[in-house]
Amino acid sequence: MNKQPETIEQLRQSFAYGSRSNLNFKFIKGLSDDEFGAFLEELLAAIAATTDDGNADRVIDAAYRWQLESYVGHLGDPADFPHRHDDTPLASLGKPLSECTVALLTSSGHFVEGDDPRPFDVEDMTQAEAEARIGEFLSAAPSISAVPVDTPPSQLRVRHGGYPIASVAADHQVALPLEHMTALANDGVIGGLAPTAYSFVGATSQVRLRKKNAPEWAEQLRDDGVDAVLLVPV
Amino acid sequence: MSVGHVQRAIESIGIPTVGVYVRSFGHIPELMGVARAAITKHPMGRPLGAPGDSERQRSVVLAALSLLERDEQAIVELPDPWRAGAGAAPT
Repeated sequence: MNKQPETIEQLRQSFAYGSRSNLNFKFIKGLSDDEFGAFLEELLAAIAATTDDGNADRVIDAAYRWQLESYVGHLGDPADFPHRHDDTPLASLGKPLSECTVALLTSSGHFVEGDDPRPFDVEDMTQAEAEARIGEFLSAAPSISAVPVDTPPSQLRVRHGGYPIASVAADHQVALPLEHMTALANDGVIGGLAPTAYSFVGATSQVRLRKKNAPEWAEQLRDDGVDAVLLVPV
Repeated sequence: MSVGHVQRAIESIGIPTVGVYVRSFGHIPELMGVARAAITKHPMGRPLGAPGDSERQRSVVLAALSLLERDEQAIVELPDPWRAGAGAAPT
């Protein structure tokens, strides 16, 4: 029996957790078939030009512009945005930043070697398995990992099924700027870096996060005595 | 969206926050009612800059921290275009 030819839609979807999964390009799933064609056309033209002059900026730029088109260009009516809020909670520092202890919190999926959050009780879950189980992550409550800010970089681990982790794995400060914040504390820009940073896997149940975990984590930060928080979503 | 929930929860109990969002998620701070956000022209997965680009990472962190001194909602797009780095953390 002849295999059914793959449709353009199936091809697009294969880049997001499918047979050709590449989380850098999962946005392709959100493009229309026509847009996908236009993206490929631009990409090929950019590669041809880059072949001659070696300037890859136009290739990177084409990928970036279509990523924006997929995420931002397709937003539709803001009223339909899930988890929209019309109010804005606002707090004030009350003292100069140079006297404030600032905490760091990111949704990067970092943890310290030997302190694996063990999602779904799996020992040493791989990045590939985290990507394969993305649906389960998205319906489960998150857990948060405490990262002492003096953790040697060699002991940092990262695993997150929702984004391409290679850049963060190559340099944790792409999302978890422990050394930058320490240096800014030493330079007196901030009063100090809170001794514990926090990281969680942002691909999680949004309802559970909003109702239960986020308020608990906020209380933890208050117990930690921090004056302000820098957050880095990925 | 995840960090938007966390940011709102922290701000709600009286602790000022600032988030660094890539432009693909740059609509989230306003739609979710987040107090302060710095938005970078970086691709998804590289919020503060490229691996090894310590200069950019530090400048984004500094720009974000400076927003903490604002007492009104502050959502600011950082102007610097993406640039590649060394590909790995400096040793």
